[in-house]
Amino acid sequence: MAHTAHDTDTHHGHDHAAHPTEKQYWMVFVLLVALTAVEVAWSFLGAEGPALVIPLLVMMTVKFFLVAGAFMHLYFDLKILNGRLFTWAFFGAILLAGAVYAAVIASFRFNI
Amino acid sequence: MTDIGIPVEESAAFIAHEQELVHETGHASSLGLSNTKLAFWLFLGSECLLFGALISTYLLSVGNFVGQVVAGNPRVLATMPAEVMNEIVEKGSVNSFFDIPFTSASSFILLMSSLTMVLAHKAVSEGNYRGTKIWLSATALLGSTFISGQVYEFTVFYREGLHYDGNLFGSAFYTLTGFHGAHVTVGILMLVALLIMAFKGKLQADRAETVEIIGLYWHFVDVVWVLIFTVVYLIP
Amino acid sequence: MAIIDKPPALPAGEPRRAARPLGVFTRPKEQAGISAWLTTVDHKKIGIMYGSAALFFLLIGGVAALLIRIQLATPNNTFLSGDAYNRMYTMHGTVMVFLVVMPIGAAFANFLMPLQVGARDVAFPRINAFSFWVFFFGGLMLNTSWFLGGGADGGWFNYAPNNGVAFSPSHGIDFWNVGLMIAGIGSLTGSINLITTVLNMRAPGMTLMKMPVFTWMTLVTQFLLLFAIPVITVAQLLLTFDRRFGANFFNVQQGADPLLWQHLFWVFGHPEVYLMILPAFGIVSEIIPTFARKPIFGYPFMVFSGIAIGFMGWGVWAHHMFVSGLGPLSVTAFSVATMFIAVPTGVKILNWMATLWGGKLILNTPMLFAIGLITQFTVGGLSGVSHALAPSDTQQTDTYYIVAHFHYVLFGGAFFGFVGGVYHWFPKAFGYMLNDTFGKVQFWTMVLGFNLTFGPMHILGLQGMPRRMQTYDDAMGFNFWNLAATIGAFILGVGVLMLLANVAYSYSKWKAAGRPNPGPDPWDARTIEWSIASPAPAHNFDVDPVVTSLDDFWHRKYQEDENGVVRRVHTGAEIAQPGNPEGVHLPAPSYWPIVLAFGIPIIGYGVIFNLWLCLPGALVVIGALFGWALEPADDLDAPGHDHGQDGPGHDGSGDHHEPELETV
Repeated sequence: MAHTAHDTDTHHGHDHAAHPTEKQYWMVFVLLVALTAVEVAWSFLGAEGPALVIPLLVMMTVKFFLVAGAFMHLYFDLKILNGRLFTWAFFGAILLAGAVYAAVIASFRFNI
Repeated sequence: MTDIGIPVEESAAFIAHEQELVHETGHASSLGLSNTKLAFWLFLGSECLLFGALISTYLLSVGNFVGQVVAGNPRVLATMPAEVMNEIVEKGSVNSFFDIPFTSASSFILLMSSLTMVLAHKAVSEGNYRGTKIWLSATALLGSTFISGQVYEFTVFYREGLHYDGNLFGSAFYTLTGFHGAHVTVGILMLVALLIMAFKGKLQADRAETVEIIGLYWHFVDVVWVLIFTVVYLIP
Repeated sequence: MAIIDKPPALPAGEPRRAARPLGVFTRPKEQAGISAWLTTVDHKKIGIMYGSAALFFLLIGGVAALLIRIQLATPNNTFLSGDAYNRMYTMHGTVMVFLVVMPIGAAFANFLMPLQVGARDVAFPRINAFSFWVFFFGGLMLNTSWFLGGGADGGWFNYAPNNGVAFSPSHGIDFWNVGLMIAGIGSLTGSINLITTVLNMRAPGMTLMKMPVFTWMTLVTQFLLLFAIPVITVAQLLLTFDRRFGANFFNVQQGADPLLWQHLFWVFGHPEVYLMILPAFGIVSEIIPTFARKPIFGYPFMVFSGIAIGFMGWGVWAHHMFVSGLGPLSVTAFSVATMFIAVPTGVKILNWMATLWGGKLILNTPMLFAIGLITQFTVGGLSGVSHALAPSDTQQTDTYYIVAHFHYVLFGGAFFGFVGGVYHWFPKAFGYMLNDTFGKVQFWTMVLGFNLTFGPMHILGLQGMPRRMQTYDDAMGFNFWNLAATIGAFILGVGVLMLLANVAYSYSKWKAAGRPNPGPDPWDARTIEWSIASPAPAHNFDVDPVVTSLDDFWHRKYQEDENGVVRRVHTGAEIAQPGNPEGVHLPAPSYWPIVLAFGIPIIGYGVIFNLWLCLPGALVVIGALFGWALEPADDLDAPGHDHGQDGPGHDGSGDHHEPELETV
């Protein structure tokens, strides 16, 4: 049971996409910065109510998945054994948390 | 293994495969990722609930605060200078209090630190130890810059009249951003520990997973900031 | 299919022969005595410690309950002042929920989950030890409030604004906050540990749908803990900041809505009650098939209903808040959701009954307690369904009808299940059997006492007796049933103490008989924890069990012959693993978990009394973290370490296990 030094790929399982290249990481970063810039600009453009909030939330969500998927390697980790189980559990949990807190806020804000 | 009616070949092959795994690795790993990485994702899951509660509390508290200001509640109005309060009444939100360009710069810095973090992990897993040290230092420095920016921002707000114990806005804002800042600080401490290991030559390619896991933490903290920046600063 | 092959992810794991500059950094060597328990990282010992601590806190919570019942035995009683009464029911509830029922669940989970999945220990043994100690010290700290701060007195749910400094100036509520936050750290780290163990360290061949029902139920419980604890932690942090640092989260004068506390608390609180009952459901799901001599009816339904309860439990929290001023849409939605959540539980009850039906029932003590859970939980569940209807709940809320409901499900349900579990797994943990006759007497005593105490509370509640009231007037008509309940409570107390008496009695009889070993499989059971010696050896399994089906152990003992008749081909003792520790590498014990756990309450006292006190606490914590990280990963001289380990490839990590796998 010798432990050998490992190259980049073997510690990610048999069937997975390769690690992103450095160039791809930079591209994700540029995308993140661009999205942030658009977000800030949008907030100053003078839209109000849902027209202001929804695009902001959409951009926020895209940034979230970019960081989680690329930087946190989740996109590639999902291709592992039992990946589907893991995916379901992960996104199920996020959805659950979001739904619970949204319900709490809703019951306050809208007095339903 | 035949005695329960499963064909010998099928069960034997399945089990042999699992045994091969154990022999190769020395550790059973039913899911395919290491215990530490799995545990850390679970921890991040619980942190999602933590920050979710803090963000919800912020939204509700500030909503109540603005409602009281707009309604003219004297006790609440007395907690901050009149110009601030007037602007809140006028805009119907607290966002005019913030310095968006400054905070955007902070966000940019934190995003860049996520990039340097992932490059650090790439470097260490490729055995590029000089690169590891550079990118880890960069991440720690960028993180510290972010924290300094937060501290500066807080002192400015304090001078402008936003106190922790003054009103709901202050309590909620400082608590939420303070928790985030504390998480960033803990991350910086972990990065410093990694750097010390790296400089002592103890951070080898076979330890790449350590860097990856601290990277997971760092990216999580960044993701939380992505949420906070949009929800707190940009959305009124 | 991924190959995971790397040295540990943490700095610990230096080469074995690294210099050990300070004596304190060597791993402890004791094998027996109290030092061994203080430094153990063995999940079985940790499970036993959880159980013992829970028993200790049970006595505290039980005394509080009896004092309450004395006060309520007669109208206009003055045995307890109003303040003392408030402290009694607050601490009774808090101690029972957080320091008794949850730790008993943790005790069973810690002891059994690795055994039932065929692992040697949990994924992170030192963190496991830390989880126990931080829970224990947090619980102790909470109880020092009796002497130091006046005892928490806001009710176990501690609503705002009553929990603020204006209405509760004494430190009691601060102790409630800080003590529970500290204990919560233990629950959180424990849950991460157990989930990782079950998901990642199963024996070869054990797919998720071949795991025992108990393991599934406790897995769901750990997920509930993982996500629920942060919510109450936030609530308690907000309250602590309000009380200690002047924040305004619940300050009505500044426009805060105190309902925020209720939402945050019950978002935690409802999953909390499911995580209290699910382990007991799991225990019953093991006991009933064993003593009905039949497999559990509808295994997939048992698993999926448990998962369903875990998910749906997040969507019903506001049924604790029907009269708090929520809008009608919320109330309706939560009312409907609450009615729906009865369905998966009903599925379980029906499956247990279907398992019993047609079985060759052995009505020994564990079986009696399991059946006790089913019947009494059903009673509690029925009253629960009546609460789900918001209009009727508006009558019932804050009355003794609710008190009856939750005691039927928690005591008549969960606690009865736990006692059954104690009887069932006692030989596996301690190597001797508890006396069955004594157990049956205990069971019936508890049934009598329990139902006499809480049955009448349904009537009292519907007659209008409110909760949390120090006394009641003579003319209200509550006298008779209150007196009956008090008598029942004392009978119940005797019944609970009989468990301790049985342990002592059985031990002395066992010693007198020359300590006969009950064998690995005294109950002729179904799951693989019964395929190792009793008491379970430190290393659990000699070789990894290879699992080819659900109830694998049973199928190795009982098979169909050529006529299709099921016959026993082996006894448990014949095919059990002998308990030979040769070639096994166990994680070494460690000081640092208990040291780290000790530092945290010091910080807690600092938050309550004087911030300067946080400094020594923080130093202990930081020191312990460094000690933990830097201690030698494995100590050649440490106990549990066998000599066959010096070959290449052993990275010597204290926290990883390298089972020597041989084909069975």
